[in-house]
Amino acid sequence: MKGVVFVELLSMAEKAFGEDVVDQVIEKADLANGGGYTAVGNYPCEELVKIVDAFSAHSGLSPELLQRKFGHWMMDFFGKHYPEFFTGKSTSFEMLEAVDQEIHVEVLKLYPEAELPRFETERTGERQLEMVYTSPRPLVSFCQGLIEACVENFGETAEIAFEATPDQSNSTTFTIDVTDT
Amino acid sequence: MSSVQDDRVSRSRYERETTARKEAEQLLEQKSRELFLANQKLSQQSEMLEQTVKQRTAELRLALEKAEAASAMRARFIATMSHEIRTPLGGLLGMIDLILGDETDPAKRELLEYASTSGEALKRIVNDVLDFSKMEAGAFQFENEKVDIRALIGGVLALTGASIPDGDARLRSSISPTVPQFFAGDATRIRQVLANLISNAGRYSSGGTIEVRAFASPHKKGALIRVEVEDHGVGISTEQQKDLFKDFTQVQNKLTAAAQGTGLGLAISRRIIEGAGGHIDVHSEPGVGSVFWFELPVEVVEARSSLQKSGSIGAPAAKAEVDGARILLAEDNKINQKLLLTFLKRMNVTADLAENGRIAVEKFAPGKYDLVLMDVAMPEMDGLEATRIIRDSWPAEKIPPIVVLTAHVLDAIHEDSARVGIDRVLSKPITFGDLRDAISEELGAKHAPDQDAPMQFGARPAVFVHLSEPILQGLIESMSENEVIALVEEFVIDSRRLLEAITSNLRRGEAEAAAAEAHALKGMSGLIGVQGVSELAGQLEQSAPYLDEASIDEVAGSIAQHLDTLDRALNNTPD
Repeated sequence: MKGVVFVELLSMAEKAFGEDVVDQVIEKADLANGGGYTAVGNYPCEELVKIVDAFSAHSGLSPELLQRKFGHWMMDFFGKHYPEFFTGKSTSFEMLEAVDQEIHVEVLKLYPEAELPRFETERTGERQLEMVYTSPRPLVSFCQGLIEACVENFGETAEIAFEATPDQSNSTTFTIDVTDT
Repeated sequence: MSSVQDDRVSRSRYERETTARKEAEQLLEQKSRELFLANQKLSQQSEMLEQTVKQRTAELRLALEKAEAASAMRARFIATMSHEIRTPLGGLLGMIDLILGDETDPAKRELLEYASTSGEALKRIVNDVLDFSKMEAGAFQFENEKVDIRALIGGVLALTGASIPDGDARLRSSISPTVPQFFAGDATRIRQVLANLISNAGRYSSGGTIEVRAFASPHKKGALIRVEVEDHGVGISTEQQKDLFKDFTQVQNKLTAAAQGTGLGLAISRRIIEGAGGHIDVHSEPGVGSVFWFELPVEVVEARSSLQKSGSIGAPAAKAEVDGARILLAEDNKINQKLLLTFLKRMNVTADLAENGRIAVEKFAPGKYDLVLMDVAMPEMDGLEATRIIRDSWPAEKIPPIVVLTAHVLDAIHEDSARVGIDRVLSKPITFGDLRDAISEELGAKHAPDQDAPMQFGARPAVFVHLSEPILQGLIESMSENEVIALVEEFVIDSRRLLEAITSNLRRGEAEAAAAEAHALKGMSGLIGVQGVSELAGQLEQSAPYLDEASIDEVAGSIAQHLDTLDRALNNTPD
């Protein structure tokens, strides 16, 4: 997993819990190279799960909630650092559809070795989008947070439901119903 | 990553940052190195690519040069072969014809006729193979000239009529009035296709009529000419029809046990017709007969002014339009002058004589002549040079057709002629009929059956016995007996003068000059049909450098004897 995710996760934790808490939690978490991450490096996903679990244990907040919060944080980060991905998009559906079709295409050009999740989308109604997230990584809630943030970003409100995709392992189907634009 | 609340940073935090930085630096170094190596590889590849392109370009250029050289060599080889094969073959056939003319023993005549037929077959094969090679070498070019299909069909029928058993009776032609009188095309090539189809019809049938039909229908280019040749011969099975137009294919002929020809005739015909944008094919039924046909989209040159009756055409003949034409004749040889002027006079043509190319150029002016007859080899300025000057001096539309007369049968002459803008090449010795047809075709005259060539009967002048029969026939066809006698008289005088020049040159050791004069004498006597003198002059020409005094006297004596005989016959005194 790209180092930038780790760096941002720790940034968020510092913002939420303060530096001292982060220092303590990381110390206890028993991470490889002592929890030092660079944005340009690559690290195993298990480390990320370990960090989330450690903060969950410390704060009493569920790992799912922390992942969702982190999803919001990352959407904000993308908006600040990669505004070009948002230009020309007027709805959250257009943005979500672009993840597989545009953004990941660009990512692969820079990092051919990147293992990217798949986001298959289908418009199942005038205001409904179905998005099937497929990845061996247990980051469903992180995705949920990203989708929520995306909807908010375009000034929309939506109901977001998800369930394990039937007959397809490692897949989760999100159903996004926009209620107000 | 920094907290603004506190300036101090914890030790563990500092260590984490150091670790991260070290890793980032390592990664940067690694990526830089990878980038450098990738760059190096890229420039190497680009260099290699450039090298490869250069090498390939050089190889291609070399291959192209080689191919061009090979192609040029092939074209030269074909031109050389064409000359080398056709020239001796022509000589051989001519000699056989001459012997045939004199031979009276039926058994020997039969053998000679076999020899002649075989020779003609060989000539056809050689021509086919040469045409085919030219097509293969891409050296085959189509001319764009005024074609009179009626004259073409008539001419081919007259020619093939003689070679097909009972030909004159079996050959028929009908040409629809819809067929335009003139269209643009390559007359020589169309004639070749017609001759091939008609002679095939003759070879593959033993009886029944052979009918040549021509029609025309509207076409976006002008007209679509359709020509059909129908025979009632052996026919061709559907199976055989498939390969018929392929190279080197022949249909087994039950009529002649042995295969004749190369099997290239139809392949060449197909290439010609398709090369001219047309189509050729056959309908045939075994045992019933075949209809070979071709269709050619053509541009009509000039609409027909009046309908011409369709029907059988015997031989092409034209008098009406040739009559009264003004012709400039450039010819240096006295005998040829006499002969050609007589021919022209008989055609009722006004002829103006130029003794060489320079005089021809001086005499020529636009509108003054309807046609120019030009000999090639002339003193001061040859015919090709004269033609070139005329072409360069006046706009093309003001220059009448220029016809070249030559004793050479070389392709080179044809090529040179085409280059300087000569419309037609005629080979000497030329017959009255050939000359008349050529002039008439060049003038674009209509052809009408020739009815006023009366045969002359009665006692023949004594001197005629000494002339070769076929040549004499040709002379009589074109001039009166008195004119022929006058021609022979002039010939004897000229020959004596030439003989004297030859012997004195030989005695002085001027073999080259003597050979040239002997060549002239050979040509003159051949034209008149005095075979004895022609042969002896030929011997002199060949062996001029090696003759001793005694031999010179002997040969010159023999020639003089021949001339004496002619003289006596002219004076009607017995030998």
